[in-house]
Amino acid sequence: MAAAEASPPASRMLPQPRLVPLAWRNLVSNKRRLLRSSAGIAFAVLLMLVQLGFERAFFEVSLAVVRALDGELFIMNASKYRFGTSDPFAHNLLDTAKDVSGVASAAPFYLEWQRFFWKSPEDGKQHLVQVFAFDPDRPVLTIDGVDGQREALKRDDSVLVDRSARPSLGMDKNATESEINGQRVEIVGTFSLGPDFMSDGTIVMGDKTFAKLLAGNREAAAALPVDTGVIKVRPGQDIDQTKRALRAALPPTVTVMTKPELIEFERHYQADLSSAGPIFWLGTIVGFVVGMLISYQIIYTDLSDQLPQYATLKGIGYSTGYISRIVFTQAVLSALAGYIPAWLLCLGVYWVIGRLALLPLHMTLGLTLLSFGLTLAMCLASAAIALRRVTTVDPAEVF
Amino acid sequence: MAFHLAWRILTHEKLRTVLATAGIFVAILLVFIELGFFVAVPQGGMLIYDHMRFDLLLTSDKYVFQAQSWVFPRAQLADAAKVQGVASATPVYFGSAKWQDPNGGVKPDVFVIGIDPKGRLFSVSDIERQTATLDRADTILVDNTSRSLLGSLTAGRAVDLNGHRVTIGGDYLLGTGFLGLGVMLANEANFFRIFPMQRPEAVNLGLITVNPGSDPAQVAAELRRTLASDLRVFTRDELASHEEAYWTTRTSVGLIFGSGLIVSFIVGIMVLYQTLATQISKHLPEFATLKAVGYTDGFLTLVVLIESFIVVIVAFIPALAAALALYSVFREQTLLPIGLNAIRLFGVLGITMIMAAISSFLSVAALRRADPADVF
Repeated sequence: MAAAEASPPASRMLPQPRLVPLAWRNLVSNKRRLLRSSAGIAFAVLLMLVQLGFERAFFEVSLAVVRALDGELFIMNASKYRFGTSDPFAHNLLDTAKDVSGVASAAPFYLEWQRFFWKSPEDGKQHLVQVFAFDPDRPVLTIDGVDGQREALKRDDSVLVDRSARPSLGMDKNATESEINGQRVEIVGTFSLGPDFMSDGTIVMGDKTFAKLLAGNREAAAALPVDTGVIKVRPGQDIDQTKRALRAALPPTVTVMTKPELIEFERHYQADLSSAGPIFWLGTIVGFVVGMLISYQIIYTDLSDQLPQYATLKGIGYSTGYISRIVFTQAVLSALAGYIPAWLLCLGVYWVIGRLALLPLHMTLGLTLLSFGLTLAMCLASAAIALRRVTTVDPAEVF
Repeated sequence: MAFHLAWRILTHEKLRTVLATAGIFVAILLVFIELGFFVAVPQGGMLIYDHMRFDLLLTSDKYVFQAQSWVFPRAQLADAAKVQGVASATPVYFGSAKWQDPNGGVKPDVFVIGIDPKGRLFSVSDIERQTATLDRADTILVDNTSRSLLGSLTAGRAVDLNGHRVTIGGDYLLGTGFLGLGVMLANEANFFRIFPMQRPEAVNLGLITVNPGSDPAQVAAELRRTLASDLRVFTRDELASHEEAYWTTRTSVGLIFGSGLIVSFIVGIMVLYQTLATQISKHLPEFATLKAVGYTDGFLTLVVLIESFIVVIVAFIPALAAALALYSVFREQTLLPIGLNAIRLFGVLGITMIMAAISSFLSVAALRRADPADVF
């Protein structure tokens, strides 16, 4: 606006800029070019969205269990380097925890990744599976389908299976019985969790069944070492205060974490310690750099094509500030024209790949905002670089 | 003549040509990177096997992949050794242990390989050099690409594996592949002290070498005929395709990098087309003039084609060089065998050339319609 006011008096007779949506008209004047440039930007956006989606899905699968834990505080062995590894602590620590002020309940959660082999009811092949177990009277998981079928888990040798497990495990075939570690089990229901990068499928069972089926175990369910203690805090009690009380009551061999801390603990492992994190990082950066180059090329070309028109505007007295605003508005419109179809296309891509790879590829608000922010940033940055060509143009030279 | 004209067009506005070449350079580089990932990542499952000496691999018929190999009776291995053409049959044991510093701290899961050091199973100079070290009681060799979570890997450090105290005798450079955070070697006696629950009678792998002059495929057939049916015999090629198929189809690896590859192809093609089409439409007036003075459409198409090919080839060479440089960085970081063979190299070149040709024809279509009188 300041620039506009500094313009020579002649410009006051020009039409009010606001009345002419010049950026919009520039964009749509050549349909073919619009199609080409939005397709170019759209594919750059799609590339980023796919990479970001994979990165998110990768973290999401490893965090799914942690998010589903039904408690506010969690006790684990201090030597655990990630949530997804078996490293249990003595059962009686939960009795100590239960008596700490502010604690409403302290329930044991048993997890095992190495010692349960599931026999596919389809082809009889053995598969290593992830097993979650708990006392059916003290629920610890909020996974859909698990809580409602707790009663059935009280029966001996009854299990729930993951109908979203990899198909080779045959858990989606409505079988009513199979074998785990060579012992017959009754399948009393299903839930949906999906495989992650460590396991192909999950089985949920009661603590007694767990104690019975666990290879090499001699302990009764009530004395089994616990992988994670799930603590519910009394309503109205401060979580951090209860955490401090627990910390003081328990030996230093265990840690006490809140849910956000536990999520961050696992996320840190996946992002910084496992080797998969950097691969996705690299993919997203490559996507952004490529997107930047594509959008620069497109915006630069569009501007070059319209150079005579811009020169004319300048020649008849419009200010540089006004022209810059047009260019940036046009860049935003180009970003939108590329982003919207890419976003829609991406929903389809996520659906297809999610189905095939059994990955939770979901378009979220966060992903939408992040990718749109990146798209806008690359288009505006490209426009800023390309703008020099327009603002330095000498109207007399263009024709 | 056509080449000369194409060259003059490209060198006339050097900055624009450089920009176009840079755009295509990035597109080709992107395809190379994604292709490299797609091919190399599943090969991570072969990394350890690639550095072991054997002609045939004997496993349980439940064998899923290296880290989930199941076991078979050692007696079967003795039977295998008697089969005609077999020179040696050596057991390999696998175990997953918790690694912890004697002073406490986290307990990462590590992968322990139990071997007879005299069997010279690994073609890794660091390991061969330290055979005597492996013979010492409660001594292990650690892969020095194991994650930093394990702490210092210097010789002499004491660590607990499943609560059993061992000493790091030295390290070696092989790579951990997909076996987890850390990989280490122990001789058989030490291995069973770390894993008292495992029995020497149950072996994970049997590495078989054949007599010089014997055909591994024939020996494999003979082994399959004589050994129990709950065993599986792999030739090296069969093993490679089995492990790669496992990582590509049974895990998300194939889809993640496969879709990355497809998207990169589409993006590459878009950039290529966009750049070449812009380049050509810029010169529409000049082409229209040439048309008006009597040059044929065929000649102009040829000029455009040559123009495209020059830009693509000029961009291809640095893209190839940059890809090879990035490959070597990636190889050093992950020890995955990312690289190029002639098929992939010429595959990318071929696809790029085909796309350049299609872009040229699409752009020339606009030129064909161009009425010289309209252009100005």
